Amino acid sequence: FPGVVQSRIPPEQSDILGVESQHGTAADALTKAFLKNSLPHMKDEDVEEMMLRKAVVLEYKRPMKKKGKTRKAKGLNAKERRQLKIFQLKPEHQKYDLFLPLHELWKQYIVDLCNGLKPGSNPQMIQQKLLKADFHGAVLTVVRSKCPSYVGLTGILVQELKHVFKIITKEDKLKVIPKRNSVFSVEIGDFVTHIYGSKFELRSSERSAKKFKIKGTIDL
Amino acid sequence: MSPELEKCPRSLLVCEKSNFLNEKSRHDFHVSKHNFNYKISVLMPECGMLPANISTVINSFSHYYLVRALPVHELLEETFLESLVKKGHFYALSYNTKIDEDNSIALLSSGQLILSLDKDTYEQLGLEGRPSLYNHGKAMRLVVTLDLTDKSLSPGSKRYQRVLSSLKDRLPLRYDFFFTKYNTGADEEKTLNKLLSQYSYEEHKPAVSHQTLKEIPCPTLYPSDIQGKTLSCDPHHFLEWLGAVNLDISCENAADSFLSTYVCPEPQSSVSQALLCTVTGFISPENVFALLKELRQYFDEPRFTPWVSLTVHGFMDSPVSWGATEHRFLKGGENFYNFVCFKNQDYWLHMATGAQDGCPP
Repeated sequence: FPGVVQSRIPPEQSDILGVESQHGTAADALTKAFLKNSLPHMKDEDVEEMMLRKAVVLEYKRPMKKKGKTRKAKGLNAKERRQLKIFQLKPEHQKYDLFLPLHELWKQYIVDLCNGLKPGSNPQMIQQKLLKADFHGAVLTVVRSKCPSYVGLTGILVQELKHVFKIITKEDKLKVIPKRNSVFSVEIGDFVTHIYGSKFELRSSERSAKKFKIKGTIDL
Repeated sequence: MSPELEKCPRSLLVCEKSNFLNEKSRHDFHVSKHNFNYKISVLMPECGMLPANISTVINSFSHYYLVRALPVHELLEETFLESLVKKGHFYALSYNTKIDEDNSIALLSSGQLILSLDKDTYEQLGLEGRPSLYNHGKAMRLVVTLDLTDKSLSPGSKRYQRVLSSLKDRLPLRYDFFFTKYNTGADEEKTLNKLLSQYSYEEHKPAVSHQTLKEIPCPTLYPSDIQGKTLSCDPHHFLEWLGAVNLDISCENAADSFLSTYVCPEPQSSVSQALLCTVTGFISPENVFALLKELRQYFDEPRFTPWVSLTVHGFMDSPVSWGATEHRFLKGGENFYNFVCFKNQDYWLHMATGAQDGCPP
């Protein structure tokens, strides 16, 4: 076998290590025996063939692609949202007229959703569709409420949060109305819908997936 | 307390004794505070015919009007407010509205408009009020009190606009009303007539009826003993007997009669005749006060009887009893008061209310 497999230990180190290197033929014989034991039991030619082809690259290894957990775009949590104030309308934006085009868009959306609002359409069908509809841009009116000062407020819905409606009235005032214990009415073409706020306390995104059960009469 | 007593709804009786000539006497206060009077009955023992002065006063009682389907917002209308409501002496009460079922509206002479509403009406109307004092748990009845003489409700203010728009547009309430006024001038007449001409109304005079009762036992009453300990009879028994006389219930307690076991309370004396005069209608407190004055003058001449009595009943379905004290109907909606006038201008005043009532003043 070519190549250096053994060499003599320098004498200083042999003192430290406490071993004596063997010389000459004894060393050769020992080396040969050791190698024979270590190598797999194959013919010499096979072993050489195995070794010839493969270059074992020790230093330049390709870095393994770290898979990791694929992180979804987490979005901001509520604290960050509040800090960025993305949901707060600046006073110069609080004008009723600015939201009128939104209302027009919403009307179009609803008409499309209900396959054209014909006077003869079935109210039940429309109701089913409205349960899953989005109300941003609708004109809401508070019709009944346990707290009488909310009754009569009318405006365009700017934001629907989990427990409140934020509407902007004709006097350019942004009003926050809690959904609970109130009944809202929405006018769509010739139809008027009453929304019982207490049952609507869901985020608009979650409402589209919720099944509403019919439970008796609703008293505020 | 025994279990039977606990089931019985309570009633309140307040007895006051004083003299008409006493300057601290509060008889005028009590009379004027009881805004809505339905029936007045006068009992005069040992008297055959109604004295002239009393019959004159009774005949001069002011007329009352019954207006059909009047919208409530008319009571808030500007000229009406200025001329009638703010000057006082104007009373309005909704007719045929049961206090425990429907909404009931009352306008007092102090200018307060009281709306006693059920829950649905209150939630739809949008005016702030407070829950009734006699709800048990769930707020089924709510009372809205509006002081029409208050500056915040002067025509043109925001609050006035809101109240008016609530009553006009949001929830137009219409009821039949009783109106009565006392001694108002020509302007007020004009305004009232203008309002009345827009709706169908009837003008009524209070109905008067006389009855002379013969040979009835009468309790003896001494002015000093109002509690009925020694000289007079107990006030409860006295009022019970008075009610029996008014309703023509026999108080003999005959052994074979199963209908009535009422008896005239002891001590009693038999009188040969007694006069019972009843006036029914929507009567203003000022008229009651005038009648009381005439009744006091009955004793200017020597009379056989030591006392006469005047009973004034309020409406069962009125939302208030005295002043703005809330009144409700549990098993009876009585709120009445009774004067017993004596020779020396002493008087007794009994004021009684039912279960769901505040204590009379």
